[in-house]
Amino acid sequence: MYHFDWALFWKYLWPGTAFQNPLILHGLIATIVVSIIAQVMGVILGLFAALAKMSKLALLRAVADAYIWFFRGTPLLVQMMLLFFGLGVTHIYDFPDIHIWGLTIIGAIQAGVLALGVNEGAYMAEIVRAGIQAVDAGQMEAAKSLGMTFGLAMRRIVLPQAAKVIVPPLGNEFNNMMKTTTLMTVISAGELFYAYEQINAQLFKPFELYLDASIYYLAMTTVWSYIQSRIEAGLGERKGVEKVPGFFERLTGVRTGAH
Amino acid sequence: MNTNSNSPTSASDPSIVVLAEKVNKFFGSMHILKDIDMVVRKKEVVVIIGPSGAGKSTLLRCINHLEKINSGHIYVNGKMIGYHEINGKLVEDSERNISLQRAEIGMVFQRFNLFPHLTALENIMEAPVNVRKVPRDQAEADAERLLARVGLSDKRDKYPNQLSGGQQQRIAIARALAMKPALMLFDEPTSALDPEMIGEVLDVMKELAKEITMVVVSHEMGFVRAAANRIMFVDEGRIIEDTTPEGLFNNPREERTKAFLSKILT
Repeated sequence: MYHFDWALFWKYLWPGTAFQNPLILHGLIATIVVSIIAQVMGVILGLFAALAKMSKLALLRAVADAYIWFFRGTPLLVQMMLLFFGLGVTHIYDFPDIHIWGLTIIGAIQAGVLALGVNEGAYMAEIVRAGIQAVDAGQMEAAKSLGMTFGLAMRRIVLPQAAKVIVPPLGNEFNNMMKTTTLMTVISAGELFYAYEQINAQLFKPFELYLDASIYYLAMTTVWSYIQSRIEAGLGERKGVEKVPGFFERLTGVRTGAH
Repeated sequence: MNTNSNSPTSASDPSIVVLAEKVNKFFGSMHILKDIDMVVRKKEVVVIIGPSGAGKSTLLRCINHLEKINSGHIYVNGKMIGYHEINGKLVEDSERNISLQRAEIGMVFQRFNLFPHLTALENIMEAPVNVRKVPRDQAEADAERLLARVGLSDKRDKYPNQLSGGQQQRIAIARALAMKPALMLFDEPTSALDPEMIGEVLDVMKELAKEITMVVVSHEMGFVRAAANRIMFVDEGRIIEDTTPEGLFNNPREERTKAFLSKILT
């Protein structure tokens, strides 16, 4: 029977001891920071792609379509390796380390963020577009009739209303994003899962160590789900929108109560 | 410009607010507006009636270029709206120019189209602050005056979904007036309202009719009798009658006008 190494399990779980290993501490920070930056990038790219898809100009629509087609149609893992190794070998961009504010951002992290962000943008495009289309067309007309340009009307009138539709799936995307950062392990980007991979390579305790890693990801997604439910409650409460799913309903995916 | 300045219907005539010349509009192969000619003078209140699908709303929406036209010209305040002409061909204006002209034309919609994420006061302030760059405190004072004018000062901090349809439409009128438009367009302003709320909106419109140029698509004959200078009957994309309310009621020119009137007057 397998002898579960409790001492090792706790050592790499309990923050007081686990964070003494710089791989884990830095990995955790990298995972959180990369997730946030890639998600922000995804939202911005998604917004532009969504607007481009609704443009009058056929060229813009075609560019957006091609972007979405490619990044949704190919595996993220392949995109990431293509970007990091592919661009590297052609010397288009070698991903040198970047030093800012006393921090060193290694090439693999740059490539990871870029791949995750650009890939996310292709998914966010559809979410943003659905959000914009959920806003009654009369809103844009009313804004235009008051002398607003398309851009101003989008910013002041349409997007604030679309946000209510966009935020719930956006939160789910971020939840996914935190888990998907583990793909960066293949380019040795030094995020959290990479840390446990490295430690396991030395100690060969995959059951204990991958369990520890799982618990860290579970903690991050759980904390985020809580934050997300608060954000949605805040968005909904002003105007008595349909009740948003509560924290536990969200965690378990089960909707309770009358609907 | 190619218009004759001696002609009584020249776009440069300062007493003319809206001038439409030979306007045609298609939706695909459907010919919605057919050679529309139309003049609206300062302070005139023109009501457009006609069966549904006749092109009334489309005509109104062409006047502030919410709809494109296929040929002809529409001038508002002496300036062609939505287009300029290059070698006799219509070329759509820049978005900025169109927006500048729209700012001078107020529009009230059938479904109100208030901004649901803004309070009544914020709805009214939105365009003056963000389009005209009026300072906030001044815009707020103006908005409060307009709220008082439509009788809704106590609703200033309410969101649209906390207001009745009639109240929403009065806020929508105040919102349009906040831009101090030279012309107000009303697109069936009472047809989405419960009957008991129609009166309060028409009362506001009747007050307004005393001082501002209005083009109103509506079948509210109470409003026509109280406020309209002219009434147009539109059918199948053409203006069939263009006369005073008395003229239309007492001796309509065409049989179909009589038939239509008999339907809406009962």
